[in-house]
Amino acid sequence: MSGVLARTVETITGALRAVFAAERIADADGFLQRRDPRVALCALAALALGVVLTRTLGVALCFAALTAALARLSAVPLRRLFARSAVVPLVSALVVLPQAVLLPGDALLRVAGLAVTDAGVAYVLLFTVRVGVGVALLSLLVLTTPFSAVVAALRDLRVPVALVWVVAVTYRYLFLFFDELQRLVLARNSRTTGETGLRGGWRDARRIAGTFFLRTLDRGERVGRGMRARGGARPPSPYGRSRRLDAGDCALLALAGVAVVASGVMRWSP
Amino acid sequence: MEPVIDARGLTHAYPDGTTALRDVDVTIRRGERVAVVGANGSGKSTLQLALGGLVAPSAGEVTYFGETTDAEAVRERLGVLLQDPDDYLFNTTVREDIEYGPAQLGLPRERAERRVAALADELGLTDLLERPPFRLSGGEKQRAAVASVLAFDPDVLLLDEPFGAVDAHYRARIRDLVTAHDGTVVLFTPSLDAVPEIAERVVVVDRDGTLAADAPARDVLTDRDLLSDVGLRPPTTVRLFAGLVDDDAIPLTVAAARDLLDDARSALDPQRRR
Repeated sequence: MSGVLARTVETITGALRAVFAAERIADADGFLQRRDPRVALCALAALALGVVLTRTLGVALCFAALTAALARLSAVPLRRLFARSAVVPLVSALVVLPQAVLLPGDALLRVAGLAVTDAGVAYVLLFTVRVGVGVALLSLLVLTTPFSAVVAALRDLRVPVALVWVVAVTYRYLFLFFDELQRLVLARNSRTTGETGLRGGWRDARRIAGTFFLRTLDRGERVGRGMRARGGARPPSPYGRSRRLDAGDCALLALAGVAVVASGVMRWSP
Repeated sequence: MEPVIDARGLTHAYPDGTTALRDVDVTIRRGERVAVVGANGSGKSTLQLALGGLVAPSAGEVTYFGETTDAEAVRERLGVLLQDPDDYLFNTTVREDIEYGPAQLGLPRERAERRVAALADELGLTDLLERPPFRLSGGEKQRAAVASVLAFDPDVLLLDEPFGAVDAHYRARIRDLVTAHDGTVVLFTPSLDAVPEIAERVVVVDRDGTLAADAPARDVLTDRDLLSDVGLRPPTTVRLFAGLVDDDAIPLTVAAARDLLDDARSALDPQRRR
């Protein structure tokens, strides 16, 4: 089958598989890869909290620089980090864009009779940078820490078992389901000749959606059995990769702690 | 020998109305090597899932180790390998998948790591341990799934077509690992060629989900009428030697067939006889 469905499926599946490719970076020898997963999780979450708290563009840019430095130290290509983190802030920028003309302030320019204010532009920029840096920090965690280590760290940090379970199972099923969809499309392609056109593509999409739903349910049930066969009915308990904290762990925790406290103080100081 | 799995009156119907099992009684005893054979769609896999406590039968009961009917209570003692390795491999790397069972079932990490390394070496997975399972070939996935179930060293192995898409070399390795397993083995398969090397007893599931036979391997594998009735072909060696020698003397394995042919050649060749 050609057309929009096949392209969409291939794009989504490719993006998901790129997450698996991130495991290779997680195996590289870099600053964050050498950190205890609990420390990496706490520190990057704290930095994300710090950047969300700030109301100053300069501070947000400092967090951006810190994120870039951590990526550099961890052998994560900045271009790749940017590519992985760009979509969410761009969408959020579109959502808050009207604020550029709605917020009162000095007019910078006029567009279609509307005044774009300095305060409005500053707000849109700050919002976008905050979201972008937050997403980049979480991407950095995913890129530098194997998923099983993140799950083990969540357990070590006494995060409620139900939440850890939901995170672990969602992550695993997501890939399985898109693999299932790709198999369906491949099976269809192998028996389709010629162009189906837009209308034909949508007709196929309708049919495949129903089959996909049923196969997803079936696959989910079978994978569930596969998990139960190996103790999956019990709470997730991957082997922890955590160890004694070293100087690098302490330094990262201290840095994150100082950053989040400073950000909070700057926000709430009179 | 004490029963490790004792199933009484197992009946199972799927929601679409298909009855996969009908009033099945089967007892597996400690240390036994049993093959459950049947044609496609006869209910072998459903029987495996029911014996492994992964499907609640519509009727009947399974008792484990003479102690409990709750399979989860003895999960670490039951090694259930499902038919499709894709149902088994869902972690981000092969290593995590093989470690999944030992971790969930509470094996110490050091012991699990040793076990993973040994199995990976035996099944040619050492270089694949850090790869995502979806990037493996069909045979590699099957080997990883077999390693996953052997990793926590269960007392009872319930293996549904463990040879899948595996090539001849690793088929022999898997067979050796299974025969060397210090416990009970139940093999579910529609192909009878692998049965004589593993099983001493054969349970035959008919196409309507009832049990057609439960007898020593030789009795079942040389009963061409029975096998034909249930839609199965006898092992290659049986088809080859049937009618040439008495049923009692039919070799069930290739090695036994070679021995028989060697003996025959010696008998015919005067020089060798001398």
